[in-house]
Amino acid sequence: MRKRAWLWALVGIVLVGGVALGAEKFVVGCDIAWAPFEWVSPKGAYLGFDLDVMRMIAILEGYEIEIRDTAFDSIIPAVVAGKVDIGASGFTITAERAEVVDFSQAYWTSDQAVVVREGSGLNIVTALSGGAKVGAQRGTTGAGWVEDNLVGKGVNVTLVLYETYPEAVLDLLAGRLDAVVQDEAPSQQAVKEYAGQLVIAGIIKTYEEFGFLVAKGDPKRILPRINEGMAKLKASGAWDNLVAAYFGPSLDKIEAAWEACISILVEERDVVRYAQCLADRATQ
Amino acid sequence: MTVESWIQVWYALPVLLRGLLVNLELLLGLLALGLVVGMAVALVEVYAPRPVAAAAVAYEWFFRGVPELVLLFLFYFGPDQFGVQISAFTAAVLALGFRSSAYQSQIFRGAIQAIPAGQMLAARSLGMGRLRAIWHVVLPQALRLSLAGWSNEFSSVLKDTTLAYGIGVVEVMRQARYLTARNFRLALPAFIAVAFLFLILTYLGNWTIGLVERRLRIPGLEVRR
Repeated sequence: MRKRAWLWALVGIVLVGGVALGAEKFVVGCDIAWAPFEWVSPKGAYLGFDLDVMRMIAILEGYEIEIRDTAFDSIIPAVVAGKVDIGASGFTITAERAEVVDFSQAYWTSDQAVVVREGSGLNIVTALSGGAKVGAQRGTTGAGWVEDNLVGKGVNVTLVLYETYPEAVLDLLAGRLDAVVQDEAPSQQAVKEYAGQLVIAGIIKTYEEFGFLVAKGDPKRILPRINEGMAKLKASGAWDNLVAAYFGPSLDKIEAAWEACISILVEERDVVRYAQCLADRATQ
Repeated sequence: MTVESWIQVWYALPVLLRGLLVNLELLLGLLALGLVVGMAVALVEVYAPRPVAAAAVAYEWFFRGVPELVLLFLFYFGPDQFGVQISAFTAAVLALGFRSSAYQSQIFRGAIQAIPAGQMLAARSLGMGRLRAIWHVVLPQALRLSLAGWSNEFSSVLKDTTLAYGIGVVEVMRQARYLTARNFRLALPAFIAVAFLFLILTYLGNWTIGLVERRLRIPGLEVRR
């Protein structure tokens, strides 16, 4: 009998080991400092729209993910080097980036917002000309837009680049910048957090589309699964609930809702009910 | 910097400390690597035949000459070109460890050369071989002499561990950035808190090294202050 017990234990170990090896695991690279797409709660949890979409697709498509925090301008090099399998950090699909990586179908449309101090009297034109100091995050399309359409065309502005978006906002608040150019959703979030101190002077219609990205040629065949997963999320209504939960409510409310609901996703692996729970609680 | 923001940083202290633990792990790894390699490089530079010594000097020149961030990126992205997967943590220990070994080798070399040549001659005349003379006579004195310089290196690399956040090691600086990204107002208090944590660590570390120095002191041989 004893011998048999050992045998079963061995079989068990081999089976578990086999399953663990069999479950594919993809590393997701993300610069987790860009609410509401990705940020870290005061309790240390990684949350945000991009990350939850990645988690939900992984469940629907049957693979594991590991979220790895990576500086924004290092994500594409890491994907190219094979250190990271998927880049999910609010990446705008651009021709330049598409030369070195492959993109999923677009999942978000964004324009650029120009944020200024309240009471500065600057409008979208005066904030971006006449010697204005304009801040942007390094490697972002906002920085690229200022570079191409203002600096490159001889408009009198100084572009100041920052490692993260919050640093640019802090410099704007400190008066060292006149304006910050950044995607609309994070800008709305910043203006909400600094009500009475910051306003959006105007929106630059760039009609950018966000995509998830993988290495050129998609050697691990991830893109079809991401696209299929997104289609499933949209068909089930989970997508709309996720958008309602993340774009609008304050960060405090989203965090409380996420904490209350996340076990539905992680333990019960029920994507639809999770999104419903998150939307209900965040928008209460 | 309102009182409220300080309270929020206070509540986030466990998160910062969790990050600091990663810095300490990095520190331990890089000091150990730096100590072993640095000692070897120093011995080679002083005692080995000229061509070998020249290789050690070239090693030391490279690791002292290349900026730390560049070293970190080289060690993080480099091995993948040869199909070797390396984690950010390992890359940080190797890059900072080899760099520290170059600096530590200079501390040890100086200390070894400060031991009067007569000591070596005396040991040899007693019938000791060169290796035994180094091990039993030169090193015990040289190591004591090098403790002062070594405490300097300790303070320096302790702070260097924060650079690892550049390649994605989630250490204390990265945790502080998380706080800032979540709540922009916390920027200054969070970084002041990190500064305090490092001041405490530097004090404790140097105090310990000072204690070791006093305990191991041989009357007549100490560095005079």
